[in-house]
Amino acid sequence: QTADDEAELPDYSRKGADTCFQCHDDQVVLAIFRTKHAMPQDPDSPFGHGQLQCEACHGPAGDHAGRVRRGNERPPIPAFGSMSKTSVAGQNAYCTACHAPDTGFAWHGSSHDDDTISCADCHTMHVERDPVLAISTQADVCFDCHQQQRTQAMKPYAHPVRQGKMACTSCHSPHGDTPERLLAGNSVNGTCYDCHAELRGPYLWEHAPATEDCSNCHNPHGSTQPGMLTMRAPMLCQSCHSQVGHPSLPQDARGLADNMPSELLLGQSCLNCHDQVHGSNHPSGSKLMR
Amino acid sequence: TSEWACESCPFDQGYRAEIDVGATNVSDDAARFGNYTGYDEKGTYADVNGQGRYANEGYRVDWYVEDLGLDSRVVEIETGKQGVFGFNVGYRDLPYRRFDTTSTVFNPTSGDTLTLPGSWVPASTTGGMTQLSSSLQQRMIGTDRQIVDIGGNWQPDDAFRLFADFRRQTRDGVDITSAGSYTQAAFLPRWIDYETDQIDAGVQYRSDSMSVTLAYYGSFFTNQNPSLTWETPFLTAPGGTSLRTAREPDNDFSQVSLSGKYHLAAGNTVIAILAASGRGEQNADFLPYTINPDVVTSALPRSSLDAKVDTFNYAFTVTSRPLDKLRVKFAYRYDERDNKAPISDWERVIVDAINSRETEQNVPYSYDRLHTIVSGEYTLSRKWRLAAGYERKEMNRDYQEVAEQITDLGWGQVRWQPAAWLDIRAKGGASQRGIDRYNDTIAVSLGQNPLMRKYNLAYRYREFGEVVAAVSPLELPVSFSVSALFADDDYKESLVGLNGAEEFRATVDISWAVSESASVYLVFGQDRIDAHQTGSEQFGFWDWSAFHEDDFDHTGVGMTWRPRDSRFDMSFDYNRGTGKTRIALDSLSGGPSTLPTLESTLDSAHVEASYEFSDRLHGTFHLRYERFDLKDWALVSETTLPTVLTLGAQPYDYDVYAMGIGIRYRFGDGTISLVE
Repeated sequence: QTADDEAELPDYSRKGADTCFQCHDDQVVLAIFRTKHAMPQDPDSPFGHGQLQCEACHGPAGDHAGRVRRGNERPPIPAFGSMSKTSVAGQNAYCTACHAPDTGFAWHGSSHDDDTISCADCHTMHVERDPVLAISTQADVCFDCHQQQRTQAMKPYAHPVRQGKMACTSCHSPHGDTPERLLAGNSVNGTCYDCHAELRGPYLWEHAPATEDCSNCHNPHGSTQPGMLTMRAPMLCQSCHSQVGHPSLPQDARGLADNMPSELLLGQSCLNCHDQVHGSNHPSGSKLMR
Repeated sequence: TSEWACESCPFDQGYRAEIDVGATNVSDDAARFGNYTGYDEKGTYADVNGQGRYANEGYRVDWYVEDLGLDSRVVEIETGKQGVFGFNVGYRDLPYRRFDTTSTVFNPTSGDTLTLPGSWVPASTTGGMTQLSSSLQQRMIGTDRQIVDIGGNWQPDDAFRLFADFRRQTRDGVDITSAGSYTQAAFLPRWIDYETDQIDAGVQYRSDSMSVTLAYYGSFFTNQNPSLTWETPFLTAPGGTSLRTAREPDNDFSQVSLSGKYHLAAGNTVIAILAASGRGEQNADFLPYTINPDVVTSALPRSSLDAKVDTFNYAFTVTSRPLDKLRVKFAYRYDERDNKAPISDWERVIVDAINSRETEQNVPYSYDRLHTIVSGEYTLSRKWRLAAGYERKEMNRDYQEVAEQITDLGWGQVRWQPAAWLDIRAKGGASQRGIDRYNDTIAVSLGQNPLMRKYNLAYRYREFGEVVAAVSPLELPVSFSVSALFADDDYKESLVGLNGAEEFRATVDISWAVSESASVYLVFGQDRIDAHQTGSEQFGFWDWSAFHEDDFDHTGVGMTWRPRDSRFDMSFDYNRGTGKTRIALDSLSGGPSTLPTLESTLDSAHVEASYEFSDRLHGTFHLRYERFDLKDWALVSETTLPTVLTLGAQPYDYDVYAMGIGIRYRFGDGTISLVE
């Protein structure tokens, strides 16, 4: 919260939530009692003993709940109301006042913070099951802003995000942390190995770009090519391999099924023989064929 | 405020649950429709979904189930006392259904051995395999992943929190692999049997100004089928009728990390540090050079690799807001992978047939990365904000053509918010990835054309720009946003290899709250990737080139209708995704040539509706429709390629309905009422 915001804060209401519920008693508002924020036995919860109840998040409601002169508009609640004038940083300050130790410190200066994203842009407080915290519904929340990633998720070869069986947070840490690209792991590969541990190796015969960065060949957000590859094989492989003989040969329409079918183009292309592109542990596997 | 009691607050107490039970009929078999959903076969499936809670004096048990009747089922149970301890157990199935049009001549005698029918007659080409058509058996390609998750946390006081989580992921089923038998190859159905145990555990200290976490991460992978032995269907060298390949070896990885964040009131500054040290190990027994008794080899130099890879990650970040209008960030990060695998001399037996008589050394690749970021943002006024940043990435590698690579990136951003309803952001920048030198000696030793520049190692100049605009008029029930991104990669020092790539993405989102009870949306997305590469069939200057155009369009529309006073509500979503990949080549030997366009078209619709019979009982209906059509010239029949026996996978072409009805019953209180 900025100093300006604090300077403008009114008093608290007279009776806390009991005051609020005199007007706000619909099911949407009362759904807060199905959430972790309304646990009186937890002293850190907004409804814990001695806490500020509704006003812990919405700010002091003394003016909003007080008498209003005829002809005057009722002053808005400081935070999270439809007419609230509090800045995004000011609204987030209400959240980080409690959540700073576990998320707030990392949030500070993260790319989402830099983009002035409000906590409430992603989180829905007055529901029993916050959509952004559920795997089946999370992506729809993220795609509200990350629309280009929504397009990629619709591509024919993609992780099961579209089907609601994988969340964006399976790979990303949206509250920000020290790793780049908000990754959940310490690196791209470290994140991928969380589900694809079989590819961690180390192998006797390594494929250097695979050990370095899976995204050298794969687009994890989705691709039009099988295996989420960034380009169709064999051309993808030929972007790096130019050994004399078959790796250097152009694979064009001559090799199609109705012409002179080429094992270098059709089927799995280079992988027809060099299947072990992630590495081989066979003593005779230096060509990644075994 | 300390006297506030909230006498009217309806705190959560007792038991309540909501359970959906029904049946869904799927109109046709389609592996891809069942991919990740479990609806892969024609027939009727049980629908069971639900959630519930028991709460009493701060203790809670929450449960959630999803798709219990499908191979994509989810079960989650959470319990504990908030602020004191928590415990969770979860189970999750994830079906991966790849092909149901595949056939094979191979029979599994065990998870790691494939045999041919007794009547099999080997041939030098697939066309000469007289027993092929009579020996083919349909074999669905797909695997199932199961994840069991058990975790807990305990907060002995306000400052400390201990946490531990154990996950076991298993994956089994049949996938495709292919393997060569000298000048031929065969696609093999490969039985997968993976198990990975993962542990996250640690302790966190928290205060109003800092948090420190000491954590352990462990990953332990086991492959029950670390090799695959198969009988080759082709005529082969003497003794070489059976061949063996290695599969993924068991591996372990353990990492200890210490991370901390400290909030300084001065300048509203957060200092974050991370130090992590890990070790990966792989010591699976080696297979012999060959299982062909007619091929003479030396003894293996080692019986296993006994490989150790050490990883180090260090990060130091300072983010500060010294002025209300100014944000600054400095980040320094160092990552290292130090592969300590011993180097030995190895012979190479080519596909269990011929000893190459060449001695090769294994290459344990290592690298370190250093990433420095400086950025800042200044709020000029309520309407204007400016941001800029500079990043440098330094990469050092062992045993590769480029030892040192430095990428410098600069960017700037302008954000204009002239009114509460309009937000426009424009960002642009450029980066240059330079290299110390491209080591031709290493390239030539690998048999590479000395003019080849591998795209992940080569010099690259990149320009990019992005514009995002959001319009949300306060007085209108419509919101509108557009975005566009452009990136241009130029590998101008690469005479052979990838020369350049361009990407353009655009999106349009429109949503309209038609009334209090109805809303509609329309989204559109476009992704265009073009790339240009060159090659040399004469192993010199480039003499062939390829242009790639990879286009994808997505359109989505939908609506929800939930009248306040009606017993009926429904939602509808429709998505269409079309992909087209065009590849044109021009070569010395073949002249201009265009490959047929690779095309995919997805039409997907989803309708959900419910009717309220009573406070507790709802009737539900859902309909999914999906049509997918793929045109891919690479998917060919078993005999198309004379020297490769494929599984004959057909391009996807299906349209399937899944229609279901059910009831939703609620136990316990549904309506939340204030305490009188």
